[in-house]
Formats: sequence, C-alpha cells, structure tokens
Amino acid sequence: MPSPPRFVAALLSLALLAGCAARPDPSDPDAVAEFKQNNDPLEPFNRTMFSIHQGIDKVVLRPVAVVYRDVVPQPVRTGVSNVLGNLRTPVILANDMLQGEPRRAGDTLGRFLINSTIGLGGIFDVAGDHFGVRGHSEDYGQTLAVWGVGEGAYLFIPVLGPSNPRDLSGFGLGIASDPLTWVGQGVAVDVLTGTRAGVTVIDTRESLLDALDAVNRESLDPYAVLRSAYRQRRNAEINNTNDNVAPAAAGGTGFGVGKGYKPEP
Amino acid sequence: MMLLIQRRLLLGAGLGLAFAGPALAQQDIGRAASFIQATGQELVAAINDTRADLATRRQRVAAILRRAVDIDGVGRFILGRWWRQASPQQQQDYLKLFEETLIRNLSARFGEYQGVRFSLGRSQQRTEDDVLVNTIIERPNSAPFALDWRVGEVNGQPKVVDVIAEGTSLRLTQRSEYSAVIQQNNGSVDALLAAMRRQIQQLSAREQGGR
Repeated sequence: MPSPPRFVAALLSLALLAGCAARPDPSDPDAVAEFKQNNDPLEPFNRTMFSIHQGIDKVVLRPVAVVYRDVVPQPVRTGVSNVLGNLRTPVILANDMLQGEPRRAGDTLGRFLINSTIGLGGIFDVAGDHFGVRGHSEDYGQTLAVWGVGEGAYLFIPVLGPSNPRDLSGFGLGIASDPLTWVGQGVAVDVLTGTRAGVTVIDTRESLLDALDAVNRESLDPYAVLRSAYRQRRNAEINNTNDNVAPAAAGGTGFGVGKGYKPEP
Repeated sequence: MMLLIQRRLLLGAGLGLAFAGPALAQQDIGRAASFIQATGQELVAAINDTRADLATRRQRVAAILRRAVDIDGVGRFILGRWWRQASPQQQQDYLKLFEETLIRNLSARFGEYQGVRFSLGRSQQRTEDDVLVNTIIERPNSAPFALDWRVGEVNGQPKVVDVIAEGTSLRLTQRSEYSAVIQQNNGSVDALLAAMRRQIQQLSAREQGGR
C-alpha cells in the first residue's frame, strides 16, 4: 500500500486530469451560491469514483457486512466495536489535547484506563455503561479544522467514502501517529495492523447497512445525499455541537463518521 | 424516567424565567416541546394501531402530518432556486408530490416502526424564530436514536419545519438531492417530478410488502 501522502497526491492529480465540473453561469447568483454551497468543483470525477465505489460495495463490502451481521451475534459485534474504539483512544486523546479540550481529554484517558483493564482490553465499555463517561470521536481532520484549515474541495474516495483534502490528510496523520504503527516491524505487526484495518471496514459497513440501504433504495440521487449528509455531519462533529455524534470506533473520514449514534439515556 | 424529564423541563423553564431572556421565547420552548410531544404521541398511536388496516393508518398519519408540518414552506425551501424557474403548474404538482412523498416515506415504514416508542429529550432554543426539540425514538430490537425537530411558527401555530438526525438536517439534504436531479437533467423540473412519481410508486409497493 502506498504511503498516505503519496496516495493523496496520486488521487489529487487524477482528479485534476479528470477535469472540473461545469462552472455555473456567473450571471445567475443562485446557481453560483449553490455551486459554492456544494463545494464540489470536481463533481464529475467524484461521481466516477462513487460509481466505482458502488461496484465494490455491491460485490464485496456489503455482502461481507451482511454475512458478518448474520453470523456474529450482537454482543460479540458490540465487543468488536468497543475494542476498535479502544484502540483508537490514543489518537482521540492526542486530538483532544491538540484542540485544547482538557475535559474531553480527561474523559478519553479515563475511558482508556478503565476499559483496557476492567473492560478486558476494551471488549466492554465499562466506562460508558457503568461510570457514565461516554466515548466521543476526534481525529486530525477535526483538529485541522479547529486550527482554521479549510476543508478544500469535496472528494469521494472508493472504500473510504466521502472526504476532502483536509480530512484525508487527517486520515493519513491518524495512521502515521497511531501507536500500532510504531510498535515495530515484521510479519506479526503487519498482520495485526492489516487485520485491524479489515475489521474496521467490516464493522463500519455493518453499522451502516440500514442507513445506506435506505439511501440507495429510496434516494433520487444517492451521491448528492451522501455529500450533503457527510459535510453537515462533519461540521457538527468539528463544533462538538451534537456531542457524541460518533462513537469512539468511528474513523476520521468517509463512512467512519456515520457509525451509529447513542442518544443520552 | 418520563417524570424525570418533565421535571427537568419544568426546572429549565423556571430557570429561564428567573434569569434573563425574553419571556416570549421561553414560552415558545415549552409550547414547541408540548406540541412535539402531542404530535409524536399521535403519530406513534396511529402507527402502532394494528387493528386498523393500512389505508386507514396511512390516512391518519397523513392528517397528522398535514396539520403538524409546514408542508408548503418546507417544500418551497427544498426546491430552492428552482421554485422560481418552475411554472405555476409545476409548482402545484411539485407540492402535491412532495406531500405524498412525505406521507409515503412514513407509511412505507409502518412494519419497521411497529412498536415504536417516543420520548422527549432535552429541549433547547436555537434561533429567534425556531425551537429545536430533542426526542428519542426507540424501536424493538434496534438501538435508540435521537431526532431533533425544528419547530417554527406559521400563522401563529407551531409547525415542524425540519428534522435533524445526527447533525444532519433533512431539508438541507433533500434540497441537495432534488437540485442534483434537476441539474443532472439539464435543468428540467419535469425530470424531478417524474423521479418523485417513480419514488412514490416504489414506496407504496414497499408499504404493501412490508406490513
């Protein structure tokens, strides 16, 4: 797998080659406003990437997620989700601190200590279920946004999902800064990180089965719906307005942010 | 649990009155919350009334939605810049189809929502005109989820003007969706109307299958 920055660069140059969307008529202020609002100057390229993704999803991702849901019972799936969330806590903690949120950082640290021990390596969310310290997601994309970095043009990336240059960079930083990346080298570590990445994709896709089925079945334009939903949701996450909008297991980009939601009890 | 929430609401309203803030706005919160509470209970009762047949339940739900939702306002908002480009006939057809879509979207899910329960969460004021009312929807065998209802005032009556799930506004998403359909068809509003008709057919087929 190419390193994340090179991957991003390759994608961006591909996008430039594919050309840009037709600019709106400058004399029509409403059309111009909508063009800016959508923030999708690379729409033709993105739509191509979206149809590639839909193909992969239909043949691989969705069927695997369906089998996973059918075969693995709910408590086990919750445990898997909890473990993934716990493995993500170092990155969440780093970003809580980078955003100057000591209270949230304290929550994250406390959760990590409790769930890694009493929660048996993160299988049980003891901190959330018994101590009322609920998880939240943070990532480098959100931190960059808090620091004032603009999102850049909307991007749709097969398998990864909706994104943009800022969130994609954040995604790369998340991988680069993850403790597992630094554990060492060798086959065992590669297998470990590979397994984790694979399980994350399956876990995320399973949690989105109903939502994406509904979008694909009922929406008049699934591409436009996902674009709008992603950008709105991402804003809510960045501002922490709708707190706990994504659980800890949610990754920083693409479909990761759509991973379920637990309201306050 | 319900009692606790009600107490918390009362407490919140009391605090609001005691501290600064226009009294009118505070009243609005309580009014919006009880409006959503009443509307939600009515909807849940209609959905869960398995003794009535599908058509009857759908008609009950339709009547509640027509009363509680600012269908014309929301419909126009969603068509956005294309509203002015549409002919009066297209506007009329669109609003009819929009209302039908709204109703069928719910009635196609009667099966899914069997046994649904609904309760108020925290309630908060957002802007000058609108109140956001937070609710929690619980269905048997699936995780509960939160929905925020944006309640505005239309002709002196509280009306639902938007639904927000997980930070995503339904009317914004739907505006994006409808506009994309028109744009992908070279600016044809008729293309959207045709797509909406197909969608309604699909939804009514699901309604029949999914009870």
